[in-house]
Amino acid sequence: MNWWNKSRPDLFSLFSIAVALLVILFIGGAILAIVAGGLPGFWENLQSREVLFALRMSVVTSTLSTLVVMLLALPTAYALTRTAMPCKRAAGVLVELTLSLPYLLLGLSLLILFSSPAGKWLKLHGFPVVFSPAGIVMAHLLVNLPYGVRLVKTAFESADQRLEFLAQTMGATPFGAFRTILLPLCRANLVSAFILTWSRAMGEFGATLMLVGVTRMKTETLPGSIYLSISTGNNDSAMSTAMLMLLLSGGALFLSRLAAGREDQKRRKAGER
Amino acid sequence: MSRIEIENFTVRRGNFQLGPLTLDIASGEIFALLGRTGAGKTVLLEAIAGMYRGDEGRILLNGVEVTTLSPAARGLGLVYQDRGLFPHMRVEENIGYGLRMARVPKEIRRRRVEELMELLSITQIRRQYPGTISGGEAQRTALARALALKPQVLLLDEPFSALDPATKKGLYQELQLIHQRFRCTIVLVTHDFNEAQLLADRVGVLLDGRLLAVAPGPRLLEGHYCKEVEIFLGRTL
Repeated sequence: MNWWNKSRPDLFSLFSIAVALLVILFIGGAILAIVAGGLPGFWENLQSREVLFALRMSVVTSTLSTLVVMLLALPTAYALTRTAMPCKRAAGVLVELTLSLPYLLLGLSLLILFSSPAGKWLKLHGFPVVFSPAGIVMAHLLVNLPYGVRLVKTAFESADQRLEFLAQTMGATPFGAFRTILLPLCRANLVSAFILTWSRAMGEFGATLMLVGVTRMKTETLPGSIYLSISTGNNDSAMSTAMLMLLLSGGALFLSRLAAGREDQKRRKAGER
Repeated sequence: MSRIEIENFTVRRGNFQLGPLTLDIASGEIFALLGRTGAGKTVLLEAIAGMYRGDEGRILLNGVEVTTLSPAARGLGLVYQDRGLFPHMRVEENIGYGLRMARVPKEIRRRRVEELMELLSITQIRRQYPGTISGGEAQRTALARALALKPQVLLLDEPFSALDPATKKGLYQELQLIHQRFRCTIVLVTHDFNEAQLLADRVGVLLDGRLLAVAPGPRLLEGHYCKEVEIFLGRTL
């Protein structure tokens, strides 16, 4: 009652609160279902060879693909926000175009690409992609690269470009200004972008399924493991794996918020007195 | 000291056009640019510093054309209205930034930063971050940083506009001291008539991207100008 007297919400606020409660119930219900289904046999299922293999496969491929995504996203976002590259607007649209495409379709496009003579040549020279773990990284790359570029671009756009110009008037090269000004200014946002991209890679399934399939103990990631477990009627194992993914996702979200919070704190500290 | 020659220089940014503008600023001169907000004062300053290459015309520093040179190669010091200090660096790191980029040995760098902090009376805030210092201290830090590489030209974009009268007065004296000590040419952007008259050898009035009048600072209000300038000076309605 104290809250009611203090804030006296208007009709629109009441409507918003009601919708928010519905959304929380809806999402919370799904999470509760995973927890309720996954908790009973969690520790036993977690120790199974299949789940441990899937966990390792997911962590390794997601970490690798996220590193590559960030390495490619940094210069791409820099070119799109800081340079006068030709057809910049069109390039920006093209990079983000795949964000709205179904992941199954992206996987199919990769399958066609790597089944072509060029793909076969790669396989012949020791880089098999189709039906191999390298394909998982490739699928993550195609799905997450536009997302990573968008996150890094947003981080770069939020940094004051004049500071880099000032650095250049003091003798810094464009790369020097990037290294000593832009990167440190965006550090927390970039850490947050890394964690969110990694988290998305951990949950990627559609493109991976099309390109490498899901084979037990060969190309089995955590989402693939859930798919296989449900296919074979082992719902307990599926729910335990889902619970594990929920914990990983929660941890990643917590770390990402922590990084963003530090950035906010730094901005407040850097504000004019 | 460095002479600045601007010849038929034009910058187009969307609907705005600066110039064609011709201006000759003598070595060691303090030149003030007066004008309304949006007149193109900052664009001109940034063009001299190298942010815009310009669509036509050229800029010469000491007789050498710099129009296409990178900002780093021009050897100028720039201070913005909001100081533009690097928020992730301490005051002393901000001041020493240019020296670090020029790979000046650490010991010489330390001594130089020390000298500048003493000159501008900011030694006590050396370990602080920009967000925790006052406006006057931030302005002194920005000045020290711009002077660290001993530039021949110092470009100041409304450096005193957000300061209280007492701090402003102190900084006017410090600017004159810096001018004598470093013997640099100064281009000062301001919208304050008194400031321009007090500090500058000559004042230019920039309106809608056009330089409409140039007059000796102390005698700015004695001359007769075109109608637009007279209105800007508040002498004609």
